[in-house]
Amino acid sequence: MSLKLPEGRAGRSLLTAAPWLFFVALILLWELICQGFSLPAYVLPAPSAIVEAFFNVEMSRWFTHLWATLRVALMGFVVSILVAIPIAIAMMRSELLTRTLFPLLVVVQSTPVVAVAPLIIVLMGSDDPSRVLITCLLTFFPLVVSTATGINETPEELVELSRSLDAPLRRETWQIRIPYAIPHIFSGLRVAITLAIIGAVVAEFVAAEEGLGYFIQFSTSFFRIPQAFAGLFFLAVVSLLLFKSVQWTQQIFFPWSLPKK
Amino acid sequence: MTEPATNRSFVRLSGVGHRYDPNPAIPPAVTGIELDIRRHEFVAVVGPSGCGKSTLLRMISGLLTPSEGEVSVFGKQVSGPRDDVGIVFQKPTLLPWLTVRKNVLFPLKHKFGRYGRDDEKRADELLAMAGLESFSNKMPNELSGGMQQRVGIVRALLLNPDILLMDEPFSALDAMTREQIGFDLLKIWQENPKTVLFITHSIAEAVLLADRVLVMSKRPGTVLEVVDVDLPRPRTTHTISEPRFGQLTERLRKHIYEPEAT
Repeated sequence: MSLKLPEGRAGRSLLTAAPWLFFVALILLWELICQGFSLPAYVLPAPSAIVEAFFNVEMSRWFTHLWATLRVALMGFVVSILVAIPIAIAMMRSELLTRTLFPLLVVVQSTPVVAVAPLIIVLMGSDDPSRVLITCLLTFFPLVVSTATGINETPEELVELSRSLDAPLRRETWQIRIPYAIPHIFSGLRVAITLAIIGAVVAEFVAAEEGLGYFIQFSTSFFRIPQAFAGLFFLAVVSLLLFKSVQWTQQIFFPWSLPKK
Repeated sequence: MTEPATNRSFVRLSGVGHRYDPNPAIPPAVTGIELDIRRHEFVAVVGPSGCGKSTLLRMISGLLTPSEGEVSVFGKQVSGPRDDVGIVFQKPTLLPWLTVRKNVLFPLKHKFGRYGRDDEKRADELLAMAGLESFSNKMPNELSGGMQQRVGIVRALLLNPDILLMDEPFSALDAMTREQIGFDLLKIWQENPKTVLFITHSIAEAVLLADRVLVMSKRPGTVLEVVDVDLPRPRTTHTISEPRFGQLTERLRKHIYEPEAT
């Protein structure tokens, strides 16, 4: 099998179009299978039925659910950033703190959040704070790890430069180490933003009256499968847009941090 | 202080050595180094990999405290990082988020938190001297490796240090760029005389640039010989074709490949 692509302009436009063509082909195949085998909508709805279901739900209802999920996901994301980055910096400064804290972080990270979520709801009630906490439990760890990695990967020469200038540690942190961690922080942020959506949905699955996760669960329990699929796709699109927004933020504000093409 | 500085030792290493590992079975990185460097002298250090050349440089800069002997600059013992030293590293290590100009000004920004108009003027002058004036607003990744290293040298000169320590500064560059940047360094050094300690793997580069070449042995690093380079300055591409240049490189090469011949 050859991995060679057609050269020139045609080759490049094929490269750009390939994922979209593949996606359209998959949808078409799905439609054909559903129509061809006359699958009932409660087993596997056809894409056309899903689109129909999407427009049968009022836009204002979609936005209510979207806002509920987005609010929790973004709050969890922001709280994670505000907690994880200072902790990563503090861990760089103190080995004692790293030794003390890191095992706990690993334990928290390796406990399935889905299993802990109901307990958190019991403990804290089914309001935003407990949902934000559930989200944070997912997003926190990748951010700490990526920030700490970035800070530690600062070239030794720059640390020596800072020391030879006898500069205060605060400036070494802010003018050298943190900017050096930016590319790593952003890879952490890209992971964290999609995890934030997952966290918000998990929290809604446990206890909620609104939100896209709640909407999917509620539609499924009433056997409105096309509607559940519509909710699922909506959620996927939102998650993708958030992921892209993180990328755009990096491109606009930190263009130097992107790998050279 | 009243004595003419040029005739007395400026940087003095007396019995200097360092071991990273306290285990006495492991030999120290360097040991028993005796060296006097005159003010504004250009000294090159050559030796096999791992012979402690960088350790030597770090002890002079004050980043590393020797475990034996003493380093003194102008009669004063070096006890910690000193700000009259400029360091140029093997890699340019510019900050990728700052423009070339801001990278040059970085030592001031980092040490004092700010810089003034005069400092900006000095940065521009230094950049012009290195032929980089048209690149001052470019980002480091838009520059070639040779230009980045030039910026690294200019950055080290910003605080107008008395001593310039260069740790294999050109080893990441291709041969052509390397030769050119060597001549540029000599030009900069002639315009702003500094005491230079230049570490290199290249014997030819050491002879071409330095007043004296220090040959170091394998670990534990000691000084095998100090060779005076009596080639006239300014050195140019013609210097390389002079017979004396060939004799000197030959002599140094002997030391490196057949150390027992000494």
